[in-house]
This record gives sequence, structure tokens and C-alpha cells, in this order.
Amino acid sequence: MSTAHSHREARRAEALESFRVRGMPHRRFEHWRYSDLRAVLDAGQVAQAGTAHWSIPALPEGVEQFDLAAPNAPAWVLKAYGTIGNRPTMEEASLAFSDGGVALRVPAGTTIAEPIRLEIAGGGNLRWLVVVEEGASATIFEPHGSDVGLLRNVGVDVALSEGAALTHIRFAPFTPKSFVVEHIAVAVSARAQYRAHFANFGARLSRTELHITLGGEGAEAHLSGVTVLGHDGHADVTSHIEHAAGKTLSTQLFKHVAGGKSRAVYQGKITVREGANGSDSRQTARALLMSERAEADLKPELIIFADDVKCAHGATAGDLDPESLFYLRSRGIPEKEARRILINAFLQEAVETILDEDLRAAVWHEVEAALPRAMESAK
Amino acid sequence: MSADTDTKDQVAALGEKYKYGFVTDIEMDKAPKGLNADIVRFISAKKDEPEWMLEWRLAAFRRWGEMTEPNWARLRYNKIDYQDAYYYAAPKSTEKYKDLDEVDPKLLETYKKLGIPLSEQKMLAGVAVDAVFDSVSVATTFKGKLNEAGVIFCPMSEAIRDYSDLVRKYLGTVVPVTDNFFATLNSAVFSDGTFVYVPKGVRCPMELSTYFRINASQTGQFERTLIVADEGSYVSYLEGCTAPMRDENQLHAAVVELVALEGAEIKYSTVQNWYPGDENGKGGIYNFVTKRGDCRGARSKISWTQVETGSAITWKYPSCILRGDDSVGEFYSIAITNNYQQADTGTKMIHLGKNTRSRIISKGISAGKAQNTYRGLVSVHAKAANARNYTQCDSLLIGSQCGAHTVPYIESRNPTARLEHEATTSKIAEDQLFYCLQRGLTAEEAVALIVNGFCKEVLQQLPMEFAVEAQKLVGISLEGSVG
Repeated sequence: MSTAHSHREARRAEALESFRVRGMPHRRFEHWRYSDLRAVLDAGQVAQAGTAHWSIPALPEGVEQFDLAAPNAPAWVLKAYGTIGNRPTMEEASLAFSDGGVALRVPAGTTIAEPIRLEIAGGGNLRWLVVVEEGASATIFEPHGSDVGLLRNVGVDVALSEGAALTHIRFAPFTPKSFVVEHIAVAVSARAQYRAHFANFGARLSRTELHITLGGEGAEAHLSGVTVLGHDGHADVTSHIEHAAGKTLSTQLFKHVAGGKSRAVYQGKITVREGANGSDSRQTARALLMSERAEADLKPELIIFADDVKCAHGATAGDLDPESLFYLRSRGIPEKEARRILINAFLQEAVETILDEDLRAAVWHEVEAALPRAMESAK
Repeated sequence: MSADTDTKDQVAALGEKYKYGFVTDIEMDKAPKGLNADIVRFISAKKDEPEWMLEWRLAAFRRWGEMTEPNWARLRYNKIDYQDAYYYAAPKSTEKYKDLDEVDPKLLETYKKLGIPLSEQKMLAGVAVDAVFDSVSVATTFKGKLNEAGVIFCPMSEAIRDYSDLVRKYLGTVVPVTDNFFATLNSAVFSDGTFVYVPKGVRCPMELSTYFRINASQTGQFERTLIVADEGSYVSYLEGCTAPMRDENQLHAAVVELVALEGAEIKYSTVQNWYPGDENGKGGIYNFVTKRGDCRGARSKISWTQVETGSAITWKYPSCILRGDDSVGEFYSIAITNNYQQADTGTKMIHLGKNTRSRIISKGISAGKAQNTYRGLVSVHAKAANARNYTQCDSLLIGSQCGAHTVPYIESRNPTARLEHEATTSKIAEDQLFYCLQRGLTAEEAVALIVNGFCKEVLQQLPMEFAVEAQKLVGISLEGSVG
């Protein structure tokens, strides 16, 4: 057995032990308050879920790929593999119970213009990681297939070196019978940028969790997302951005539309560490409730240990602005159509943050397809 | 920068001695140290309570034994030894005072130092004071005028004897005996407190005010306050606190219950300035308070205003249950922490009824090595159609070693409800400071001015009697800390 192999095995053994001790997250874990996973799934089911599938139909030139199921992982894989972030219990599970996944490396100074399409399919645990080296940049599009089965639990490591840039677009379709958990741990070095967009259409329980560390001066994270839910869908986006160094910037814009008996959750925690002066953080979360049975839960949290900072968050929950609605109706637009226009505008603000035109169109297409479900009244 | 240093020195000099730090030596009537069922019986017997009250306390005590201390708040403190404290202390007094002249002159002296000249109270603009000295209320004024209006305003122990039915009907209905660890402890051992009942349609003719004061060394103070505003009535209640200086940490676990029936309004204002500990974090009061108001009737209103500048540990969430249709809840708060103080405070607005409205304005100021957390919940239930909430939480940081945190929970289950939440965190802007200095203000004056401006929206909500005191407090609470 090679040392590289045993290194990975050791990390997996550690993850297994950590998951065994902490167990399934449940609503008594303060940040799992709105998504009680233990109530619907037990640890055995996670352990026996197997490994989900990944595929990259066309790897752009200049990107290195390594199959995590293979032995003898190179050093760049080992350095990032399960080492980033705060190692929450479900992430440890994805490490302990997955027998595969993929690692990607964008070498220093390379600009990959074409998005890397990383498709996730099937049920089970899975790991993927991406290392973007100094001054390099790339885009990863992560569409999820709807063939989840019971559970899909994905753990992701993202390592951005100095001046690197990664755009990450994740899209998860409506999977009413499944549990979908994804934990994304991101380390952002000085002057590097992580831009991400999350389009969630709900599952029986869906949790997208981010832990981002802005570790060097000038590091930036820009998150946006849309959640469009109907029936009894559930989608929880939980982010934790740590400003660990000064002059770091983070922005967040999340929009939720919840109809039927669905539940849309956003929890955003910003931590500014001692000495991280000049940190700037802005966070906006808005939810529209479309039905009497839907629920929106928002928890924007600020934990600040430095004084020279600018931090602000705003959160709203409610219905469409009656005045805007009235304005449109007074112009002869029927109420249903007027509502649709306003909801589109509401969601578009978040989708527009996707810079790549094709990806933006792809996400918007899914949003439009999901909207009728959200606008149906509860049964 | 030199201006900053100067101010630090000046303000530090100002804050060197806690203004209200003195101990009055009065022979105390204490229960033995520790807590067990016998102590609960002792307290109940001391108070000459009816049997149902003793049973109520004992049930709470049994339940408390099964509970664990909550640890979710962002607070760090040494483990409290509940057996290492006295649970009852009363000034020795056997006879009721008929006149102020009969009151122990030492007590009166204490009040004088606190700035509550009881003998001059009657001259003051309509403030009746039910002064609580440690655990037993000793003097009440303006009884006549209140009697005329039919308002009951008396110590809780007296109310339990004289208005047993009324107390029994409402006590524990807002904060259930088993609500939380500290409330349950309070239910078992509460020593005294205040009871207010405002009858139907009565507008209480004056601001009611009670001064709480912790005095005996190592005596926890467990106050229990119950205010019931019957249909269409109005009452404004003021609570202010100062405490003598000492080293041991003292536990304080009060419970305040407000009940507003149809069309009633209760305004509850607090200035809390208990001993915060010294600049090294030694000593100070541990303040674990459960305050909750129930807007039980339609069109009722409960408004909380608090200025929290004292205590080493503050754990306090004055809340409103908006049960009645069209009821209104408000929470205005200033929390100032300095040195090693820690505050975890906020509110809960539970919207149950239709067209209920709530407003939260919270201003947190953190200086020195202090930690200041706003923790709040706005919850709209499915039937609360057209509920409205507006929340604004602003934090001001002074110095680079303190922390300011905001933890809001927003939960909506009704599509017609509108909830808005805004929060900001910043420091005193250099340009604001510069502008003030350039106009000839000292740095200390400038900071007081800027901070007062920052808090203005809340200070405006205070009754006039408190507003002046509170403004001064805001200034002197920020000892030695300019960013």
C-alpha cells in the first residue's frame, strides 16, 4: 500500500470515527433547526447508501483530472482531500462512505474559458474537489440528475490559491422522495475569488451547506441563489463565511419562492475574526410565500470580532408588493400574469449574477419550469 | 490618535469607581445557604403564603431538579454553584410602616444615595415608588390615589395574600412554571416582586415605578412581577436598578409576566445598571431574566423598552405573544457592554392573531473586551394573516477586542405576512469623530454625543423620568474605550 493511499485511508478512518461519535444532525443542532435529518434518515442508511456517480462529458483542455477511486493520488489531491473547512458530520460521512469521486486541477496561470460540466447522478455518497492554482481561473457547472433514490450526500473541497478565480454553478432538480445533502468547503487565498450560484428546486429534504474561509487579504466570495419550491418540497441553503483576514469582501443574495406545502430555509452566518479589519460583508435574503401552507425561515447571523468592518444584512419574508401588483393591473394586465411578472423580476435579480450567458439561460430555463409548481395552491 | 488616547484616560478616570458602589449594613434575616425543598418551604412560610402557593413552588422546585442549565447563549461564565447562595434575605422589619418617618433611616439613606428620595416622592411628578430593598417591599406611596382609580400596585407577597384569586388566575400563565431553567428556579424561590392590576377602562393615573436593589452579599435576587391590564386600560411601568460593589458573582433570575386584555396597553421600561464587574472582569451580577408579555385580547399592545448597561452577564429576551387580533408588540433596546461584560439579549415576537404588528429596534454597543449579542425571533403562525414586523438591529463596536453579534430568526408561515429585518455593524466613523473634535468637543463628549445619537430611537421611547438618567448612563458606561 502506497503512503499516498494510506494517507487518504487515514483521513477516511478519522471521518468515520467523527461521524460515528456525532451521528446524524438533527434539529437540536442549532444550524439544523429547520432540517431535521435524523428524523427521516438514520446513520445506517447513510453508511449503506453506496457511492453516487459523477461524469465530465468533455474535459476542457488544460484541466487535470484524477479519479478518486484510483490509488496513488498525487500530492495536489491529498493536500485538499477532506482538509478544508470545519468538517461537519455529513461531510465526514461523505468522506467515510464514498468509494469515489473526482479531483480537478487548474494549473497556475491558466484561464479555462469553457465551463467544466460535472454531472452528478445516482444515489449515495460522493466526493469531489477542485484546486485552482495561482492566478488561474475556471467555471464549474454542477447539474444534479433527478435519479437520487433515497440519498445523495456530496462533499466538496475547493482550494483557491492566490489570485485564483472559480465560478461554481450548482443546479438541483425537484426530487420529492429524496434526501439531498451537499457540503461545500472553500478556502480562498489572498486576492482569490469564489463566485457561486445555487439553484434549488427542492427535495424531501435538501441541504446545501457552504463553509467559506476568506484567508488572505483581498479574498472575495460572492454567493447568490434561487430556491423555487412547490408541493411539499424543502430546500435549505446554509452558508458560513469566515472573514479570517483583513480587506476581504463577501456578498450574498438569495431569493426564495415557496408555494404548496413547501419550506424554504436560508441561514447565513458571517464571522469576522479578530484583526480582520477592513472586512466588508453584505447579505440579503428574501422569501416570497405563495400559499397558506408554505413556510419560510431565514436566519442571517453576524458574529463580529473586529471593529473596523462594514457588515450589513437584510432579510424579508412576505407576499408580492400590493402596490406593484396594483400598478400592473391598472395597466390592464390580469392578476395572474401580473404576479408572474413580479415573481420573475424577483428571481431574476439573483439569477442575473451568473455572468456566463449560457449558464444563466440554463438556470433561468429551470426556474421557469419550476414556477408553475410554486404558484399552484396548496392541496 | 492622541485624542483617542486622551479620551481613554479621561473616560477611564471617570469610570474608575462605580457610582453606585456601596453596601448598607443592615441586619439581614437570611435563610440558610443552599437550595432544597425545605428552603422553598421556609420562603413560603416567611411570606405567610396560602397552601396553593407552596404547592406551586414545590412543583417548580421538583421540576427544576430535572432541568439542565441552558448553554446556547453566546456567554461564558464560571459554573454557578446553586448550593452556594442564600435564597432568602429580608431587611428586619416586623411592623408595617404607616408613615415614611417609621422607615429605617439607613434604608432611606440608601435610597437617597440611589437618587430615590422617598420623602420627596410625593412632590415628584406623579411617580409612585414601590421600593424593593433586597427582597421585601418596605414602602409604598401614592396608595390613596391609586386606590381611588382602583389600581392595585403592591408587593407580590402581599398580593398573594390579599388578592389570592387574581394572582392565581394569572400567575404562571405567560411564563409557565416549566418555561426554562431560570424561570423554573424563580418559580420555586421567588422572594418578592410587584403585582399590578389595572381594572377595566382605567388609565393608570401615574407612571408606576419600582426600584430593585441587590444588597446583601451573596444573596440572589429572585423577583417576580405580574402586571395585568384589564380591558381597555393603560399602564406604564418603570423598573430601574443599581447595585452595590462587591466581588462575588451574584445570580439574579427574575420573571416578569404581562397580560394585556382586550384593548389594553402596557408600557414596560427598564434601566438596568447593576454592578458589571471591574475592568478585569472580576465580580458583577449574573442576570438571567425571563420577561414575556401576552397580548391576550384583541387590539392590545405591549411595549418593552430597555437600557441595559450593567451586569457581568445579561441573558434576557423580553418577548410578546401577539395572540389577540390587531395586537401590537414593540421592543426597543439599548445594550451597552464594556470591559469583560457579556450580553445576550433580544426579543421574541410570536404572531398568532390576525393583523398583528411588531417592531424591534435594537442598538448594541460593545467596547473593551465585551461581547454583545442580539438574539431574536420573529415567528408568524399560519393564522396570523396580514402580520407585520419591522426589525432593525444596529451594532456599534468601539475598540478592536470586543465582539458584536446578531442572531435573528425569521419564520413565516403566512403568505400575507410581511417581515423585514435589517442589521448593520460598524464602528464610530473617524469623520464623525473628527467633525465633533473640530467643533471644540472633547473626544469623550464626542463619543457620548455620537453614541447617544446612535441610540436616539430607543431613548425617545423612555418615559421622561428615565430618559435623562439613561442618556447619562450611555455616556458613563463606555469607560475607557474610544475606537
